[in-house]
Order: sequence, then C-alpha cells, then structure tokens
Amino acid sequence: MSRAHRLKAALTRAAGLVAVLAAVGLLPWLSGEDPARRLLRARSAEQDPTPEALDAIRADLGLDSGPSGLLGDWAAGLVHGDLGVSWVSGTEVLPSVLAGLQVSLVLMATALVTAFLVATALVVPVLVRGRGTSGGVAAMLAAVPEFLLATLLLIVAGVWLGALPTSGWADASYLVLPALALGVPAGGLLGRLVADALPAVLDERWVELWRGAGVGRARVAAGALRRVLPPLVPQFGMVAVGLTGGAVAVETVFAIPGLGRTAIGAAKSQDLPLLQGTVLALLLLGLTVGALSAWLRRALLGPALRGAGLTLPAPHAVRVPVAVPLALAAVLAAAIGWGLLRDPYAIDTAARLADPSSAHPLGTDALGRDVLARLGHGAAATVGTATVVGLLGWLLGLALGFLPSLAGGLADIANALPPVIVGILVAAALGPGTGGAALAVALVSWPPLAAHAAALVLEVRASGFLLAQRAIGAPPLWILSRHVLPAVAAPVARHAVLRLPGIALALASLGFLGLGAQPPSPEWGLLLDGTADYVERAPVAALAPAVALALLAALAVALSGYTGRARPPVRGNRKGAGPGGPVRVPRADAHPEAPVAV
Amino acid sequence: MSHASTAPTALLDVRDLVVRYGPVTAVDGVSFTVAAGETVGLYGPSGCGKSSTAHAVLRLRRPQSGRIWFDGTELTSLSERRLRPLRPRLQPVFQDPYGSLSPRRRIRDQLAEPLRVHGLRAPAAVPGRVAELLGLVGLEPSCGDRFPHELSGGQCQRAGIARALACEPRLIVLDEPVSALDPSLRAGIVNLLLDLQQDLGLGYLFICHDPVLVRHFCDRVLTMRGGRVSTGGWQSG
Repeated sequence: MSRAHRLKAALTRAAGLVAVLAAVGLLPWLSGEDPARRLLRARSAEQDPTPEALDAIRADLGLDSGPSGLLGDWAAGLVHGDLGVSWVSGTEVLPSVLAGLQVSLVLMATALVTAFLVATALVVPVLVRGRGTSGGVAAMLAAVPEFLLATLLLIVAGVWLGALPTSGWADASYLVLPALALGVPAGGLLGRLVADALPAVLDERWVELWRGAGVGRARVAAGALRRVLPPLVPQFGMVAVGLTGGAVAVETVFAIPGLGRTAIGAAKSQDLPLLQGTVLALLLLGLTVGALSAWLRRALLGPALRGAGLTLPAPHAVRVPVAVPLALAAVLAAAIGWGLLRDPYAIDTAARLADPSSAHPLGTDALGRDVLARLGHGAAATVGTATVVGLLGWLLGLALGFLPSLAGGLADIANALPPVIVGILVAAALGPGTGGAALAVALVSWPPLAAHAAALVLEVRASGFLLAQRAIGAPPLWILSRHVLPAVAAPVARHAVLRLPGIALALASLGFLGLGAQPPSPEWGLLLDGTADYVERAPVAALAPAVALALLAALAVALSGYTGRARPPVRGNRKGAGPGGPVRVPRADAHPEAPVAV
Repeated sequence: MSHASTAPTALLDVRDLVVRYGPVTAVDGVSFTVAAGETVGLYGPSGCGKSSTAHAVLRLRRPQSGRIWFDGTELTSLSERRLRPLRPRLQPVFQDPYGSLSPRRRIRDQLAEPLRVHGLRAPAAVPGRVAELLGLVGLEPSCGDRFPHELSGGQCQRAGIARALACEPRLIVLDEPVSALDPSLRAGIVNLLLDLQQDLGLGYLFICHDPVLVRHFCDRVLTMRGGRVSTGGWQSG
C-alpha cells in the first residue's frame, strides 16, 4: 500500500468519524420533531405544550440556535468534558455515562476471559491432533446471537434451575450468566477462526522441516499458533467490537445498569443528551478496541512484515454437506408456510398461554394469539425486509468495491459500529420502526460484500483479457459494463443471498430490543421478548421463537461456509496448458469472513 | 536524425523510449523501427525491459519520454480517446492464451467484440467475419460456440490471434506468443504466424527469450539488456 493510499484511507476514516460524531451531536435536530416538544413530553406526559412552556425550554437549552449552533454547543461542551444534562432526570450526563462504562467494562472483560477459555477449549484438540477442524460445536456456539443465548440462559439457569441471580448487578454471582451469554458466542467465533486456519498452517513446509529436525510437538504447536494469530488479529478486533453490541442485548436481558442498557433506555424515553453521551462512549470503546487490535497486529508481525502483511494459506475446504442448510431451510420453510395459513392477530382470551393442541400446534401467547401463525407471518415480513437490506448491501458493496481506499476507511467505521448501536441512533432520530431497523442493518452490513467485490475487481483488472480489451480500443464504459461488472455482480449477489439469514438475525435483535418493528407485529425478536416472560406457564410457546431463531442462526452459519467460493469455471487442469504453468489467479474468496455482529 | 520533425517512413518508429516504474528505469532510451511486412525480434533475458517496451508501443503504459510513430502518427502525445480509432491497426497477442480471453464469454462473441466496439461492420455482417477469422487461424467453426476453458492452449492462442486480426491490423506485437504453450504446439502457431504475415502483409514486433526461435522467426533481432539495446544493436538473423 502506497503512502498516498494510506493517507487517503486515514482521511476517509477521519471524515467518517467526524460524520458519525456530527450525527450524534445533531440527534435532537435530526429527529425532525421539535426538540422542545420532545423534551416536554420526556419530562412529563401530561403537561400541555403551551407556546410559553416550549419557548422557555428552547431558551433554556439553546435550541433556537439551529443545527449548527446546536452542534457547536455540543462539541464545545464535549471539549470541556461536559456532556450536558439529562432531559428526564435533570442530572449531569457524564457521571451516568462513566458509571455505566465501569459496569460494561467489567462485564466485557469477564466475557473476554470466558471467550478466551471457550476458544482455547476449541483450539487445543486441533493443536494436539495436528489436524482436523473446530467442527460443528464451534459453529453452533458462534452462531447463537447474544440476545438469544441470554434469553435461553435466563430461562434455563435462572428460572428453571433457580441457581443463579438473573437480574441486577451486585456481587460476582450476578456476572456468571451475562458473561456466559456474551462470552460463549465470541469464544466460539474466535476458536473457529483459529482452529480452521491451523490445519493448513500445520501442512506448511516449515512444520515438516521442524518435525524432521526433531523439534518437540509443543514447540511446533507454539510456532503454528504464532504463525496463525497475527493475520487473524483484525478479525479478533471485530469480534471484540461485536461485544459492545452484544453487551447492549445482554445488559437489557439481565437488567444490568451498564452503558448499553442506559443507551436503550435513553433512546426509548427520548432522553437525547444521555443517549448522545452513552453512544459516544460505546463508539469510543469500539474504536479503541479496533486501534488496539491494529497495534497488536503490528507488534506481533514485527517491523519486517509491517508493509507486506502476512497472509494465511487457504484453509482446507471444510464444506458443510449441502443437506444441512437444505434441511434447516426446509424445516423453517415448512413451519413458516403452515403458519402463514393461520391468523396471527386473532385474540382468543379464553385460550391464553394454552399448551399445544390441534387448534394451536405451538400453543398461544399471553393474549391467546396462535404462536405458529405469528411465527409464520413474522418470518414473511422479515424475509421481505432482509431482502431489501441485502439488496442495499449489494449495491453499496458493489459501488464501494470499485473504490477500495474509500471503502477501507468507511468499512473501519462501519465495523466499529455494531448494528445495535446504529439501530439506537436511527431509532432515536426516526423513532423505532421496521424501516429504521432496516436502515441501521443496511448501514453496517455491507463491508464483507464490499471486500469481496474489491477482491473480484482487483482480480479482473489484473487479468490479461482486460489488457486485450484496452488494446482493442474498447472505451472504459464498455469494459466496465460488459466485462468488469458481470464478473463482479453475480458472485457478490450470491454472497449477499447467503448473508440473508444473518441480516434477518440482526433485524430480530433490534426487534427484541424494541428498536425495530413495534407490537402487535409478529416480528421474531418481538415474539421472543414477548413470550419469554411466560416460560413457566407455557414453555412450548416461549421456546418456539427461540428454536426458530436458533434454526435461523444455524442456517446462517451453514451458509457462511459457501460465501465467495462458488466460482465460474475458469479453467481445468488441461493438457494443453503446457510448461508455462498455470497462471496465478488472486483468490477472490480471501476476504475476511466477517463475524455476524449482533 | 536531430529533432525529427518529419514523419518517418517505417511502419513503426520508436525513438529514445524511456519507461520508469517509480524509481526503476525499465526501458532506458531504446530506438528501433519496424517496416511493413517485416519481423523484428526483441530478445533478452527476463527483466531486461522488452515487455515494457511492448506495452509502451501498445500504449498500455504511457512512456516517460521518447517518441513512437505508427503509420505516420505520433502516439505518445495522443489522448486515450484520440488513440482509440488507431488501436485496431496495432494489436497485441499475449503470452497467456487463457488469460487474454474472458472466461465468461463464448469465443464467437470475443472475436466479434473489436468489430462491435469500432462499428466497422454492419451487425449483419459480423457473424460472417467471425467465421472468416476462425478459418484464417485454422479453428473449426464449432470452436466459436465454446468457452475458453473448453479449448486447448493452442486453440486459445489461435483465438487470441484471430481477435487481433479482426480489424485488419498492420502491426502485431507478439509478446512471447508461444512460450506458455506445449512444445509440440509451438511449431503450429509459429507457422500460422508466418503464413498470416505472407498473406496479409503484417509487421511483427516479436518479444522472445528463446534464442533459437528468435533467429528462425525474425528478419532482424534487437538484443536488450538492462533496459538498453546492448552494444552491437542490430544483428541480422
């Protein structure tokens, strides 16, 4: 990467950060509605919005100075460490943010330790055997989104076993379930990244040489780990950033007074100064983690490899049998199709929280509505939304794939923002709703698609036939539309389709937190939130959405093995190829497989 | 030849060509000519600058300095847009037979592409010209329906030559056209190139690192070393 290129990427990064900060600072104005009216409502719902009352508030908060004045005031306060005063409680924002940050940091540190233990447990068998992969266990662990695992832990350990506290924040025992909910998926992902990269590294020549020279197994294993880790550090960084998003869900489920729960509460009560402060802290946390992982990577690589980078060998193809995603999709489709035939809104007060019966195959919820019908209709709506989001991501990915330096900087920003945090921002600006949730997920789901598109563009641009096109005298637009775009658009579209279940999960997590679709919509996240409270009385109805979401998560992981690997037949190993040797084609699927940060 | 203001008579006339990649000077003041119907060899070890010279002549890379006259027109001062109408008359054949064809399109469409880009034939006449081109390079008409990965290396290279011929060029830059091929196929391609030259009066700039082939194939050979034409310059082949 040239100096100019790096500078450009750094500039985009800075510009992106400023834009996000400006968006946070302008939240009161972005929301469209008169901030003074909102503030009045936030303080007290009964008070009449008389002109005098509104004017008093405006003068009090300097709201009449317009967006630039508002942004200026906020930025000036920021420089002095003044984050303003909560609209609801009237207290200073900074102390609340710091208190939440402390709690969240403890939770995330514990979760990181848990993740490290889980990852070690997954990696050690591969290192000891010298081959194999992490297998299905790691895939399943990595697949479960935090909000689902948290709910399941709450139900199983908290409610049924009654062994551990499930709500609040006092002593260490309160940490166990949240740390598990947050740490296990992250650990599964980390372990999977390392364990899947190891076998190919253990097949490299130097390992053979070391073994032949009589180097002990432990030292070979240590060497292999040392070889595997640096290129994976950026992805570890993304996992850690994902923790900030996961923490929001986990804190909400277990009622932990951390940063994430404070942010959600502020978004729901329209307490914009508090929201600005908490989102700012979450953002800084994400960026710090990203910067730390970049620094760690450089430190691990040493000065010699800084410029060149160190890539891993192509992992041994571990393809999930096609039957697995097909079976998962078939089960889901059957349940959804059956549910679609039923009425999701019919309220039967006589049959509330009913057990499964022939009339209600999965039972009913607290209002006596059929759970199967709600699952089916919720899925149909989600598939539509996810498709729109996937389409947006595809277009964004394609567009930015042609501008790698711009995309690099923007992707850093997008990767530092879990969908939940963007969802909070969008919900604060537009009010919670399906459209806002879709926008939030679209804003952060494009980086892997853009990376894939960029790799393909690079591959096509480097090919001889493009040179031949220029020599023919084909105009740039001709080359772009007839050769480059067709080579890029189709594989990236396939990739986008394979990511749809992950997108649907992200939408469900926003719904679960109340930032997406609103009741009585049968959106899956809402269903889980709504039925989990009644698990003791109607376990089947409570667990049905959880099982459906788990199936969706399993489908997302089963499909992720296929992203970017379906390629057009370029050329077999033909006898005519001759001694010139095969031409090296850059691997299009070398893009990092981004974790589904929910 | 001071300050050559008059257009030279040779088909291709390259003077004091310099190509740099950052701090590295790949081609350092190379001059030569190619007459119509003549084959000039550019011979040298890898890294001597012969492919850079070829790319500069084709204007796939802009040279840092020097002049290139092709058929009476000076190329280095032309914009990409002004150059485009001239390009069909100055065509390359590349080393990698598979890489120079798009893996996603049928041979037929790829041969028709130069005709379509320049609109040189009525759309109805394009299939006839494609069949003619296939015959010219000794490919079966059925090859037109295939994709590159369904052809052998030799067949692909013939298709590449056919595409270069599509717009009736006057000069073809052959960038190691046979070195990626199986030895048993090389003679066939070399003979095809010789036949085409006789029939169509083509000029060839032949880039090669095989001393035997370059002597057999070329009228004149220019030996390059370290970005310069090595002392002695012209050898008769």
